[in-house]
Amino acid sequence: MLARVVRIAVVVAMLGLVVTLALAFRRDPHDIRTGTIGKPAPVFTLERLDGSGKVALADLSGKVVVVNFFASWCLPCTEENPALVRVYERYRASDVVMLGVNYQESRDNGLAYVQRMGMGWTTVADDDGRVALSYGVFGPPETFFIGPDGVIAGRHIGPIDEATLVNAIETLRARAAR
Amino acid sequence: MNGRIVIAIALLALAAALVFAARPHEVTADERIDQITTELRCPVCQGLSVKDSTSETARQMRDLVTQRVREGKSNAEIQAEFRAAYGDWIFLSPPVASWSGLVWLVPIAALGAGLVLVTGRLRGADAPPPAEPSATQVAALRERVAREEAAEG
Repeated sequence: MLARVVRIAVVVAMLGLVVTLALAFRRDPHDIRTGTIGKPAPVFTLERLDGSGKVALADLSGKVVVVNFFASWCLPCTEENPALVRVYERYRASDVVMLGVNYQESRDNGLAYVQRMGMGWTTVADDDGRVALSYGVFGPPETFFIGPDGVIAGRHIGPIDEATLVNAIETLRARAAR
Repeated sequence: MNGRIVIAIALLALAAALVFAARPHEVTADERIDQITTELRCPVCQGLSVKDSTSETARQMRDLVTQRVREGKSNAEIQAEFRAAYGDWIFLSPPVASWSGLVWLVPIAALGAGLVLVTGRLRGADAPPPAEPSATQVAALRERVAREEAAEG
């Protein structure tokens, strides 16, 4: 009797494993849910890459903020940059703020990259990597979507495309308008 | 008798060594940093701890741990800071009291299930053979066989 119960338990466990794996494989690998999603965005104040002052996330409260971690040595960052430029041009006169956080490189290299790639949005230097660590960044490029309430609503790991950017931004804007 | 004394002395020496090894002592800041960074996973490596990795990210994480220890933060507070950013994934050994702690429970459960199965089989093998049929039962069976043979012609 007990052996039969154990056999049934093993079958149920195997089925559970198969279902879990099936669900896991269906998930978008770029949409990794870590501790920061749904929680207030870690606050920071960082210097602008061009040295023209500081930027505090707290000053952007009430706006949709797109925080993009990038580096000049990161090839996928170069790959995603045209989409970021197009989305920036689309929303530059709106309540959407794009903020580039330069990651693990010298400010000179970061600034040269920003100028070369036509990045018109605000870019800041995360010299000691503390901001990236507080956001749970694995490596560039990574993009975080922060709602007007200051909560991280979404995260994209790896190069992002225009449709994903627009979709995430519009979702947050619609939520804010309600 | 002498053998028992030797065994007793050996056990006492072993117990004394264990007590000596487990004695409470002041953990230094460097020991705490080592302990915390050994348990943290390097996010850009394959199965390496922050302590063992030479990556830039691991170096920044070590710097952060060092700063927090110097600020007087407890191990739990420092671990909580990393958990808030990366989730339980950031620990090389998943915490027992969490969903990921199931990885500790499953092997134990599997071992228990295996033991139950093996015990069940062994008991089945040790079971006494079925009793011999009685003379009445044998007679009844013979009569039934004869009846069925006659019916088949």
